[in-house]
Amino acid sequence: MTMDTLALNNTLVEDYLKRFIQEELHTSGFTEACIALSGGLDSALVLKLAVDALGADHVHAIFLPYKASSDESRRDARTMFEFCGIPWQELDISGMADAYLALQPGIDRLRTGNLLARLRMAVIFDQSKKENALVVGTSNKSELLVGYSTWYGDMACAIMPIGDLYKTQVRSLARHLGLPQQVIAKPPSADLWAGQTDEGEIGVSYETLDQVLYLLVDQRCSSAEVSSEGFELDLVQRVERKILTSQFKRVSPPIAKLSQRTVGIDFLYPRDWRK
Amino acid sequence: MTYTVALAQVNPACGDLEYNVKMHIDQAERALEAGADLIVFPELSLSGYLLKDQTLDVMRRADCLEFAGLCELSRHIAICAGFVEEGEDGIPYNSALFMDAGEVCHVHRKMYLPTHGMFEELKFLGRGRELSVFDTRFGRTGIVICRDLFHPLEVSTMAALGVELLLAPSAMPARGFGGEELGIEQTVGLALGSASTFLGMFVVYVNRVGFDDGLGFYGRSALSDPVGGITVSAPRFEAVQLLGTVDTSHIARHRYQLPIRREEDLEIVRHALETRRNS
Repeated sequence: MTMDTLALNNTLVEDYLKRFIQEELHTSGFTEACIALSGGLDSALVLKLAVDALGADHVHAIFLPYKASSDESRRDARTMFEFCGIPWQELDISGMADAYLALQPGIDRLRTGNLLARLRMAVIFDQSKKENALVVGTSNKSELLVGYSTWYGDMACAIMPIGDLYKTQVRSLARHLGLPQQVIAKPPSADLWAGQTDEGEIGVSYETLDQVLYLLVDQRCSSAEVSSEGFELDLVQRVERKILTSQFKRVSPPIAKLSQRTVGIDFLYPRDWRK
Repeated sequence: MTYTVALAQVNPACGDLEYNVKMHIDQAERALEAGADLIVFPELSLSGYLLKDQTLDVMRRADCLEFAGLCELSRHIAICAGFVEEGEDGIPYNSALFMDAGEVCHVHRKMYLPTHGMFEELKFLGRGRELSVFDTRFGRTGIVICRDLFHPLEVSTMAALGVELLLAPSAMPARGFGGEELGIEQTVGLALGSASTFLGMFVVYVNRVGFDDGLGFYGRSALSDPVGGITVSAPRFEAVQLLGTVDTSHIARHRYQLPIRREEDLEIVRHALETRRNS
């Protein structure tokens, strides 16, 4: 197992994902997309794909900073707006966040992070109504699998174009699309406090995490088999536990079945259901 | 004999029969104008693929009123199209009809319905149990629907029963983005190559494009010729209609040069199966 195993034909992936965005919007009767831009790589890539797929006039991106957001996030978000040729839009969520946070003395960093993610969700969904647009999500496969994302926060969206790309594959596709180097090269961060990085939080580099996930998930290897590929058993088991404990985020809430046909159990229609 | 076949690499709307019937008529008229004798559509082209519980709403008899216009058009061009068939037993089948001269001449029910991973066909559809080998003005014809094509035993049996033209409507989702071409394209390439090279058949493989939810269908429809190899190859992901020429003299020429068909001895197979059964 090397990083080459995860290499993709980015020309094919780019073509496929642009068509996915176009068709999924079109089938749902939409022409406009709404994207919350964080200044990070995932939303930058999704913005670029959406602009290429739909045209800059049909993509409504918005930067939603909190007062603790870093200057780099603002700078990189601005760079992406300019790179994609769309007008700068910013809405500061500090006021609405602080109104609630003032009522919650002693709130910890995790709760604060989740709150900010859910406030951004509320804003982006409202903006999407205003623009008659669909919210395009920016979650990647690595974070979906380990649950490094906020349920009904940054995970909330209508479609997830890069949800089957590991973070390292996201980076590779971003390079292929010529995204600004400063956006590609910076350490991934949820930007909830100064110096926070994903890799610090998850406790492993994305290069290692993605290889372990690939072996566990795509290849269905046991933790012992993954370990025999040169990864510490303790780390592999930790990743396995993260997958397990975040399963609830990846499914719709179970409904207690009573009737003949129950939503999610035996009332089964595709999302692209047309009558 | 030479004839022209149109490969209709289309994007059917999931569950929208009215839209799809109209799209089939447009495609068939276009093919007719271009001089085609036969047009082949993808799997479930009239109904859409990822139907789930819409299966009950869109299942139809092959001779239903909604398909009458298409059937009428088959007076001028033979048509192979996919639909959810309402069987005489009330069971929905993943079927492909063959219309010619204003009649439904044959209906094939998919035999192997993938039900694993992303596929859930047997959850909603019944299983066909008969090989489709029938005579048309194009020679002895067979139909395999998508996964059927990946069962060499059945395709070989069809060849042994004299099939010269194999129609292979498909709805194959894209996967395997690591190489020059998709992983699934290589798998299909093996099946097409084997049917043409070893069994001496023409194969018309028509795969759909577009997305049903997250499943993206990749296209790359092809005409596989026993002598010429892949003579028509449609682009990836793009809705197109392409024309190909079938020269039936290639079958005899190929079977003379590589006489696998002549060597074939089904007695060996029969003996092996009987010996196994009796042991």
